[in-house]
Order: sequence, then C-alpha cells, then structure tokens
Amino acid sequence: MTPSSDSRARPSWLAEQSNLIGLAAIIILFWFLFTSLAPGFVSSFNLFALSRSLAVDIVIGFSTMVVLATGGMNLAIGSIGVCAVMASGYLMQTIGLPIPVAMALALLLGAFLGWLNGFVIVRSGVNSFIITLASASLFLGGMLILSKAQTFNALPPEIAAFGRMRWGGFVSPLLLVALAIGAALVVLFRFTALGREILAAGANPRAAELSGVPVGRAIIIAHTLSGALAASAGLMLVFRLGAAMPSIGQDWLLPSFLAPVLGGTLLAGGFVSVVGTILGALLVTTLRSGLLVMQIGNFWLQLFLGLILLAAVMIDRYRGVYAERRSLGRKTNLGRKESGRRA
Amino acid sequence: MRLTIEGIGKDFPGVTALDDVSFEILPGETHALMGENGAGKSTLIKIITGLYRPDRGRLLVDGKPVDFTSPRDAIAAGISAVHQERNLIPRFTVGENIMIERPPTRNGVIDFDKVHSEARRFLDMIDPTIDTRTEVRHLSVAQMQIVEIAKALSLEARVLLLDEPTASITGHEADALFAVVRRLRDEGKAIVFVSHKLEEVMAISDRVTVLRDGRIAAAGQPIAQMDRGKIVTAMIGREERVAEMGTRSVDRTKTVMEARNVATSLGHKNVSFQLHKGEILGLYGLVGAGRTELARALIGDARIVSGELRLNGNPVTIPDVPTAIRRHRLGYISEDRKAEGLILTHPIRSNIAISVWRRIASALGLITRADERRIAHPLVEKLEVKTPSIEQAVGKLSGGNQQKVSIAKWLAAGVEILIIDEPTVGIDIKTKTAIHELIGEITREGLSVLLISSDMPEMITLADRILVMRDFAIAGTIENTRRYEPMSREIMGLIHAGSADAAPAAETAHG
Repeated sequence: MTPSSDSRARPSWLAEQSNLIGLAAIIILFWFLFTSLAPGFVSSFNLFALSRSLAVDIVIGFSTMVVLATGGMNLAIGSIGVCAVMASGYLMQTIGLPIPVAMALALLLGAFLGWLNGFVIVRSGVNSFIITLASASLFLGGMLILSKAQTFNALPPEIAAFGRMRWGGFVSPLLLVALAIGAALVVLFRFTALGREILAAGANPRAAELSGVPVGRAIIIAHTLSGALAASAGLMLVFRLGAAMPSIGQDWLLPSFLAPVLGGTLLAGGFVSVVGTILGALLVTTLRSGLLVMQIGNFWLQLFLGLILLAAVMIDRYRGVYAERRSLGRKTNLGRKESGRRA
Repeated sequence: MRLTIEGIGKDFPGVTALDDVSFEILPGETHALMGENGAGKSTLIKIITGLYRPDRGRLLVDGKPVDFTSPRDAIAAGISAVHQERNLIPRFTVGENIMIERPPTRNGVIDFDKVHSEARRFLDMIDPTIDTRTEVRHLSVAQMQIVEIAKALSLEARVLLLDEPTASITGHEADALFAVVRRLRDEGKAIVFVSHKLEEVMAISDRVTVLRDGRIAAAGQPIAQMDRGKIVTAMIGREERVAEMGTRSVDRTKTVMEARNVATSLGHKNVSFQLHKGEILGLYGLVGAGRTELARALIGDARIVSGELRLNGNPVTIPDVPTAIRRHRLGYISEDRKAEGLILTHPIRSNIAISVWRRIASALGLITRADERRIAHPLVEKLEVKTPSIEQAVGKLSGGNQQKVSIAKWLAAGVEILIIDEPTVGIDIKTKTAIHELIGEITREGLSVLLISSDMPEMITLADRILVMRDFAIAGTIENTRRYEPMSREIMGLIHAGSADAAPAAETAHG
C-alpha cells in the first residue's frame, strides 16, 4: 500500500493505514448517501461520466504527488496541462499529424515545461512555490498569445470516439490508463533507485546529498515527471471533450492537492501514497458527481472541497506532530528504555 | 532566593521520567546539573521553568509552595532560563529584545529612547561592549547568550538556568561567560548550570547535582568533595571505561590522502597534511576554527581554489559529493546526525543502502527491499545496532545506534577514507566507548579516518596523530603519546600561540 518503505518501518504506519481505511469509509458513506438520495447516481450513464472524470482527477493528483515527494510543490500543473492540450490541438487540426505522434509531442512539451520548472528551482535555489507560481502565469500567457485562445474543435473523430468508449457498460478506458500510470508510479517509488532518491531528497535533502544522492537531479526529474503527468491529464480531457480548449486546467489546483493530501502524502516530502492519491481523487470525484446529480450547484462543491482540503491539512499536521513525537521526541523515554534494557 | 525541589516525579506514557527528585538551589551559588541524555535533566528544567507540571512532589520558593502553570508564572517568581534554542528575535535590536516583555511607553506608543537606556542599564551589568541598537542577527552566538542573560536580569530573575551555554561558543567566549556567571553569583543570584562538559563543571560550579535514570545520583554535593571520576561514576552508575584501542601499527609509507597548500572557497589557507592507510588522523580546534568547513571542501561540497588534493598519490578535483563517494571512495559523517546525517523518518535498511542504491540497482534501475536488506543486515549485526527490526525508523533509535547506522552506511559504500565529525556528540558515556572501539576496528580493517572532535579525551584516545587547526589554517601536528596532561597542554599551546597577546584583551572586552 505504501510505496516508500516497508510498512513496519514507518512510525506513522497505523495512522497511515487508518487514514486509508477512514478515507475508504468516507467514500462508501457518500456513495450510500448519494445513491439513496438520488438513484440516478448509480445509473450507468453517471457511472461512466464519473469514471472519466475520476481518471483525470487521479492523474492530476499524481502530478502534484510526485512533486510533493520532494517536499516542493507545482502550482503550474494547470498551465502545463493546457499548453499540452493546445499543442495537441494545433498539431492534429492545423498541422494534421497522426494522433499518436501529436499526443507524444504534447506529452514531451509537458515534460519539457516541468523540466524547466525543476531546472530553475534547482539552479536558483528559490522555493518551488514562487517559481511555479510565476511559471504558471508565464506558460498560460504564452499559450494564450500563441493560440489567441481559439478552441480546436475540428479534431479527428477518433478522439471523441475514444472518449465515448465504454468497457463493461460504464468504465472509460481513460480510467484504466490512469490506473496503469498509478501502477508505474508504485514501481517507481517502491522498486527503483530513482524513486528512492526522490523520496530521500524530499525527506532530508542535506542528508541525502551527503549520502551521495544527486538531489538536484532528483528534483528536476520529479518536476519533469509532474509536467508529463499534467500533460497526460490535459490530453485525457481532450479525449473526453473531443476538443482542445484553452479553459482546461484553470480549476485543477484544488483537486491536485486534495487527492494526494487526503491520501496521506506528506506535504513535508519524503513519503507518498499512490493508493491514497487514487482514493483521494475518488472522494473528490464522488462529491462533484453526487452534488451534480442532486442538482446542488457548483458553488456548494467549491465550499465542500475547500472544507475537505482544510480538514485534510489538519490531519496532515496532526500526523506530522504524531510521527515526530513517536520518532524524535521523548528522547527521555527512549534513553530510559534503552538503559532499562541493558540494566 | 532559595528554590527547593521536593520529591518531584513526572510520568510520560509508559515511562517514569523523574522519580522522587529532591535538592535545593541556594542564592549565591553556581549549581551544576548533570546527567546523561535521558537522565531527566530536560524534564526537570521544564518543570522548574513552568513548561511541565510535576505529577508528584512540589517546588518551593523561599519555603513557600508554588504551582507554575506556564513559563510566565516561573518568570514572575524570578526564575528565568537561557535555553539552547535562542529565544531572541533576529531582526529586532538588542534593546528591543531585552525589553520585549514590558516595553516602556509614552502616550501609548513605545518610547524607544527609554527602551535603549533601560536595556543599557541591564547590559552594563554584564557586558558594556554590546550596542543596544545592533540587530540581534548580527551578533555572535556568545553575544546572543549575553543578551538573553540581560533579558533575564531585566525580568528580575533571581534563579538563572543556563542550559548547555557553552555548546556552540569558543573557549575564550566561554571564559568570558564564566566571568559573568561568577559576578552574578557573587551578587547573590542562584545559577543553575546544565552541561555535559566535566572540565567546565569542575571549574565553575560550587555544587553539583547528578541525575541518573530519572533519580538523584548525587544531590548538591560540594564540588570540592567531587572529582571527575566520582561525577562520571554518579552519571553512569559504574566506573568510566576507556576504549581499548589495542596495538595500533600504522604503515606510514602509504599515503591515501594528501593536501598540499590547499586553499578553499570557505577561507582556508595553506592547509597541508598527509593521511596514511589505516590511520586515525585527528583534527582538533575550537568551534569556528574551520574543521567542518575543511571536511566539506575535501568531499566536494565546497571548492578547493588553490593547492592540490591527492588521493592515493593522484591529484584529484572533486566536483560534488556523489563523485567523492562513488569515484574516490570518500565519505563524510556529519556532526549533525539529524539534519545532515540520516533520514530519520526512513528505515535503517534504506539509510544504510542509500549510499549504494545506484550500485545495487539492476540495469533497469530496479531495486527490491531484499536487495537493500542483503546490504544492511550483515552490517547491523556486525556493528551491533540495537533495534527490534531493520525496518525501524532511524529517528526512533538512540544517538549511539544512529551513529552506528551512519558508520554502517559508509562501510556499505566501501569507502576507503572516512571523515568523521564529532562522532560522539550527544551520545552517552556508555555508548561512547563502543563507538570509539568501532572506529578503531574499522581502521584496523584498512579504512583511513580523518577524525574531527572538540572532545580532548576522545582525541587522545583515538587519534594516531593530531592536526591542530586555528583560524582556517593548520597550526601544527602532534604525535599522540596518549598521555593526557602533556598532550592537552601542547594542543592548547598551539591553539593559543598565535593569539597569546590578543587573548587577555579579548577577555577583558567581553567581561
């Protein structure tokens, strides 16, 4: 469940697991609630819509998660996403490139913009918050100037067809793409030297550096990956909407933090939970879809999501304090136990 | 003011931190409070200063019971503490910091002239050289301590707690601080002096109280009746054992590291030395002499701007730390285990394997936990790291076991040269010996060690030769004869040689 390290190792293991179980319980509760209040919630039409937007929410969450792992953040994911979206639209509609080539190039653009963020952060030593805040505006502005904010809505018909595709009655293939990305991230953080280096750099950059971890490179790679994931989320929306629109990505910021933070990824860095991020995204999507089906307005959704993020951050804070108390504090007690054992 | 600690006890979940602790602190005395890490000193200080409330027993001020519910109550009763973590605001001036609790006002606004004149009055009692209009961030650590003491005086403190006051200041600054402490004591203040350093305690205190495992091991013993051995015995419950280094035969014909007139971007000049295979080369000096900075330059964390560094006879330029480790088999153990040494929230397994992740990964960059365990497990056994599991988060280990994990990390990496910075700082006396023996053992197996330490007995126990550093340059090299007295005299001689004339002047200025 927890890709960063063996479960027994974590002082906050119990908190971690109970967090995932609690999250799953809350999701089930909402499903019961929405199903009983609005039977349309579990119609195959709504489930299909839900699976499509869940796919996007998951990947948006991953995009932020990989940067949180380094103890940084990326406020530019919406801007990177829309740049990739518009690039894919331009390449397919105006240039007429085949779909896979256009998609690959759009992903590369996302990765490049993420790399740019990482490079500037590492080279300048300035906090990722401010760098990505600036680059978010920069990328968005650049895209608007170049595209003149024109929607590309004459894309090849296969795009929309793929977006409408259903497996098993209500599962969008996009969801499987998102889960496949999740599996790849589990492998990355659990089974590769690179993933470990990213987590080590997040947990204690100085100690990691002095242990031979190329910390700067780990941070740049995490940002590159974040850019590529943001681009993937954008392209998923292109499939869903059948068009490349310049308004994509504007509302990503909140859900991008909600999913990983709800799922137990530490804001301080050094620990990620892929499964938690998926569950976090599921909660966000469930709320959005449920409120929609119950015809409660979007305004309420914003209020709810804000409340939930606040609650999640409080839990994160508590977890941090708890973990610290368990592992670092109480030197007194540890020392005493130690001497007690020896005596 | 007489402060009586009467039968104090304090429990934390699952553990009794303090049990039946009683002693008295009298006006006009310097009372040393000693004990190993975990003996209960910090808990006791927190109770005296109102941060914790005792579960049993009581505090009496001049015979009257008091009940502190917050630090404010303790301050009102005349008890102030100067903690290791500074409680000053860096961007405020000295005067503003001293008067921050009750700033003088006129017509509802702060009267800054009066802030500085009042602050001046308190500061003049101890150190007239500090300007009250300087921002605190421009002061040295020692000066900040003086400001904190002045702040305590402004709060009419009659009991002053100094928690490890000399931990991060130089010998001269410590002497100046002791002069202040003596003056305040002579004026009738009670000074509680918490320190690990036996020499200091012997020099400055009138009486000593020792805690061991949360209980009193010696209560208010006059220092005249104690000696080093008695205090150590009280602290550890048995006699001190010095690490048995065995016969050390170092082959001085094989030089593994050589610095020739090295100057660094951090300000070192003309640093030359040779480290032989299997040797422990000590690097002694006061805090601020440039020892840790030299280590940083050697491992590629700072630049060598001129001169030459040779490893195994070949001139090298080390661009960064990963290169030092991978290509040159050169590792560094920081004095600050928590901030720079280990990843506390990660398990022992990955803290050891971190140095070889790249090496043990398959062609695709894949590693499993089993791969890491194969590296870490034998070392955990060999170094006798006391832990229930190799998956334990390193932050939960004791200081001594954390240090063993640090050493294991470098053994895993297969380094040939290891720079160890203050290997036993914050580690209790019992474990210290084990760490010393471990360092001796790894050098017998062929590793060469550059040992940085401010702990003279440690230096003389471990080092084969001692480089003495002063002002970012090498002041001299001494063969270790293992005779403590002449060795320490010779070392201190080298340290103070250049500043013999300046030293008394500096002391007067500070005092």
